[in-house]
Amino acid sequence: MVLLIKYTLLYAVVLLLVALGGMFSERSGVINIALEGIMTIGGLAGVFVLALLGGKLPTPVLVALSIVTSIVTGMIYSLLLAFSAITLKADQTIGGTALNMLATAIAIVSVKAFNNSSAAGNGAASAKLTYDNSPFIYKIGPVTINIFFILAIIILVCSSIFLFRTKWGLRLRACGEHPQAADSVGINVYRWRYAGVVISGALGGLGGLAYIVPSVSTWNFEVGVAGAGFLALAVMIFGQWKPYRIAGAAVFFAVFKSLANIADSTALANLGWSKNIYSMMPFIASMIILAFTSKNSRAPKAEGIPYDKGAR
Amino acid sequence: MANDYIIEMLNITKEFPGIKANDNVTLQLRRGEIHALLGENGAGKSTLMSILFGLYQPTSGMIKMNGQEVHINNPNDANDLNIGMVHQHFKLVECFSVLDNIVLGVEPTKGLFLEKKGARERVMALSDKYGLKVDPDALISDITVGMQQRTEILKMLYRDNDVLIFDEPTAVLTPQEIEELMKIMKNLAKEGKSILFITHKLNEIMEVADRCTILRKGKYIGTVDIKDTTKEELSRMMVGRDVSFSVDKKPAQPGETVLKVEHMTVPSKVHSNNAVKDISFNVRRGEIVCIAGIDGNGQSEFVQALTGLEKMSSGKLIFEGKDITNATIREKSKAGMSHIPEDRHKHGLVLDYTLEQNMVLQRYWEPEFQKAGFIKNKAVRAYSDRLIEQYDVRSGQGSSTVVRSMSGGNQQKAIIAREIDKDPELLVAVQPTRGLDVGAIEYIHKQLVAQRDSGKAVLLVSLELDEVMDVSDRILVMYEGELVGQLDPKQITVEELGLYMAGAKRDEVPAEV
Amino acid sequence: MNEKGKDVLLSIGASLVCIVIGLVVGLLILCCINGENAVDGFSRILQGGFYLKPKGIGSEITQAAPLIMTGLSVAFAFKTGLFNIGAAGQYTVGIFGALYSAIILGLPWYLCLLVAMICGAVWGAVPGIFKAYFNVNEVITSIMFNWIGLYLVNELLYTGFGGAMYDQKTTRTYKLSAKAPQALIPDAGLNSIFKTSSTTIAIFIAIIIAIIMYIILNKTMFGYELKACGFNKDAAKYAGINEKRNIILSMTIAGALAGIGAGLYFLSGASEWNPQVATALPAIGFNGIPVALLAMSNPIGVVFAAIFVAHISVGGAYLPTKYFQPEIADLIVAVIIYLCAFVMLFKGVVINLLKKKHADKEGK
Repeated sequence: MVLLIKYTLLYAVVLLLVALGGMFSERSGVINIALEGIMTIGGLAGVFVLALLGGKLPTPVLVALSIVTSIVTGMIYSLLLAFSAITLKADQTIGGTALNMLATAIAIVSVKAFNNSSAAGNGAASAKLTYDNSPFIYKIGPVTINIFFILAIIILVCSSIFLFRTKWGLRLRACGEHPQAADSVGINVYRWRYAGVVISGALGGLGGLAYIVPSVSTWNFEVGVAGAGFLALAVMIFGQWKPYRIAGAAVFFAVFKSLANIADSTALANLGWSKNIYSMMPFIASMIILAFTSKNSRAPKAEGIPYDKGAR
Repeated sequence: MANDYIIEMLNITKEFPGIKANDNVTLQLRRGEIHALLGENGAGKSTLMSILFGLYQPTSGMIKMNGQEVHINNPNDANDLNIGMVHQHFKLVECFSVLDNIVLGVEPTKGLFLEKKGARERVMALSDKYGLKVDPDALISDITVGMQQRTEILKMLYRDNDVLIFDEPTAVLTPQEIEELMKIMKNLAKEGKSILFITHKLNEIMEVADRCTILRKGKYIGTVDIKDTTKEELSRMMVGRDVSFSVDKKPAQPGETVLKVEHMTVPSKVHSNNAVKDISFNVRRGEIVCIAGIDGNGQSEFVQALTGLEKMSSGKLIFEGKDITNATIREKSKAGMSHIPEDRHKHGLVLDYTLEQNMVLQRYWEPEFQKAGFIKNKAVRAYSDRLIEQYDVRSGQGSSTVVRSMSGGNQQKAIIAREIDKDPELLVAVQPTRGLDVGAIEYIHKQLVAQRDSGKAVLLVSLELDEVMDVSDRILVMYEGELVGQLDPKQITVEELGLYMAGAKRDEVPAEV
Repeated sequence: MNEKGKDVLLSIGASLVCIVIGLVVGLLILCCINGENAVDGFSRILQGGFYLKPKGIGSEITQAAPLIMTGLSVAFAFKTGLFNIGAAGQYTVGIFGALYSAIILGLPWYLCLLVAMICGAVWGAVPGIFKAYFNVNEVITSIMFNWIGLYLVNELLYTGFGGAMYDQKTTRTYKLSAKAPQALIPDAGLNSIFKTSSTTIAIFIAIIIAIIMYIILNKTMFGYELKACGFNKDAAKYAGINEKRNIILSMTIAGALAGIGAGLYFLSGASEWNPQVATALPAIGFNGIPVALLAMSNPIGVVFAAIFVAHISVGGAYLPTKYFQPEIADLIVAVIIYLCAFVMLFKGVVINLLKKKHADKEGK
């Protein structure tokens, strides 16, 4: 049970962060299918910091630097989506898909290149990076809490306040619902959509690091983040684009995802189901939920539609 | 005062690729007046106002405010100059409250957070002062069109706008709401606001405006004092010739019944009530029956249920003696029903298909155009060429023109050609002249009458009173989903028709004539 | 030249622009990683299969066949206005279909291909049904089904049927040449020409299917209906076209095409599945997206685009691993899709310019 809670928290934090990211992007009117890729790139950058500077810097500085790096990298990478989707008004899904593929390719090439040079060029380099993840983890009683858990709670509360209590939130939401209306009262729709996408980049990048680092100390970048970014999209839809509902959805999905990890070591092993079956579960669950919730979806009205000042 | 003009737009010219939307237009707005801007669809009214509001930049010409030249590069500049606009399609966020919509863009804050208390008080004060009744906490999606418009007006007042632009504000309102709006506008002018009022409705101009500027085909025709002019004169200036406000046609000679609608009820998609409530009537050969009513009273839902685009929840449809209640769109079409849809871009055309592909949209499956599932391209081309010739559809490359590149009038002509050439027993035409110029409107009216005269039934759904009065042989008025009157256009005045449309008067409507 | 011809040329031009920019980015990356050997590496990518004649050409052909199919899969759905990001999952399920019917059922190759097709079709149909009846975006559903398909296939190929398809020695599924030679697609002498072991008539099958798809889309009533749905589903409904049926059919056909792709590749003996380490979806499935985009969804264009993508992928494999990673080829492909996302924009700009000129002329 403790194990279940541990893994649930681990995944819930990731899904929450990334789904909140997706929420900001979609609330501003841009579908962010590139979350998967943003997570990979953000995680990659953060892990590189750990692998390169681990032991050379004081622990708190190292942790902070790795987190900031993953956030900033995620933001920069998301600019590629913003540029194509907002400035060039390109198809948001295609642009996002390209970024997902690009992210994995970049991750593999750069990690292999790195391993190749450090291993004196013996050729068959792997795409794995090894690092020390202990500075990120705190033990509280029987449960281990990682630093991302604390960050996620803070970000959740801030997101809700930002979205519903500040004028920036009001403006961001207006851009996703009715950009022409926003434009007519002097709100710069392009700028707010950029903001939405870049915030999602920051949270996606952070989420990538939160996915990779706390659970293991070696990561094979050939798998990217193994679909976590896509699950976060489902979490966001299930959470109806609202921060606290997203938090609930994240926990729900995380339970399913955790089952795969603990199946072998608990009573569930008696069922004789393999890891593959548990791995499928969150995806199947999200399909069922989507089928039932789609009828009364509260998706931002203008999401996915490029805003064109000329057309009105 | 040295200059009593608050806004002057002098010699404005605006060119778009291939078209001069405004050609040397001058408009001078006095402080505290209601100034109407009159012109037909496509006369350049909206372009001119968009220039004033900073949405477009003029190709040449100058804008002065209080005698000083100003440059309005975007809506923000217009806001800064206290120019506000109620757009024809409201710019309101549906899932926001009235108050949120009013403050959007000029949000009052306290520290980092929104502070709506003061804003609410100000809105309520403005609302009292000008008689603009709104519920500040209601969501836009839940309130009436009239209240949405009042929200838009409050948006301008909240920003202390002095110049208020109203773009076709009455198009979506009931007569009562229109009357109320007229009062509000007079009130605003009395309080010193200057109002620009875009319209093509002469009655409204005569009622509220002080002066009127007329545009025709992008050109400036003149500015007149309303007290020195008449409707007829304004109308002449608008269209450039005396308009015969009637369509030449012989009296109708109705024959047997083609369509019988029995107790039709259609659920609404936007609210929990029914959009169409238990209506019954019939349409006979050789007559044009018109369903009149203000936009949003269930006409669209009725047509969608009739043609099969949506399902009705109860009732029966009898077409030429056969029950077609549950027939599919294709079956109804095969049985002899043609449909000129309300929205030609949404339903009527596949804009990225060529003209010939659109011409066979309802018939591509017929043996004439396909063999064993393969389209007969030559037959399609020949058919399309014939329709283009016969119905005078103009386009760049004839049958192979992509429809998106055609003008609205010719797109509509293509639809009409397609639907009429199917030789239908019943032609359902929904707002067939919307957004078209006078020539095209005349042409379409003639086609409808010709259908009737060849012994076919025509069911016309229209929002334009003139069209209703001139074209139809029998009028059915729809109000809140019910038929509230059956009228003879020859024996009724427009005013009386208006009373029915506004729900102020109602009769029993016989299910059959 | 008529309008259509101009448009085709314009599309080819726009795609070439994307390719050139993508390649330049690739060269820059090579320079960043190892400047000394960059030019050598780049020339190997450009040469593709021709770097190692004739074997390389053979393996390029082997790669191209499934890519044509997944490209067709994505392109076909595009024509109906759907984005089939699920080609990868349909392809994966198709792999299972091919291997199951080959190893367990012992069917001949053409029947195996048929089973692969059916498996892919089922996996494509589900997102179609979700879209038609629940109005769930097909992109989201397809992504979910990609992962479900992957885990399911891993499970079935590893332990399914008593582990009968899994070779403990190689930790992969059994080689068809040893276990099920009847299921291998005939090579018609291609293997001996190219000195390879998996160059078969698969490529011809793929090309024939591409031509059939072209005919379906452009010459038939069915194609007319599908494209009408893709351009404007409201107008399609108005014209009496059953939109829901078309969405489901279109996704089913798209899935079938991806499934055939899997069959063509695995039944050629080009690869075996490793269910233990396959935690990511097969790249051939995803590479259908750039293929379709580069081809502007034209089935004939798909053939050429697929050969191009196979060309640089094979070229990437010939990079000297001492200095470079073969995934650089993937990187180039990804950059190309990113550019393809706004290739319509490039095209639009050019078209508008042409039109303006035209209008000016007419004006005079």
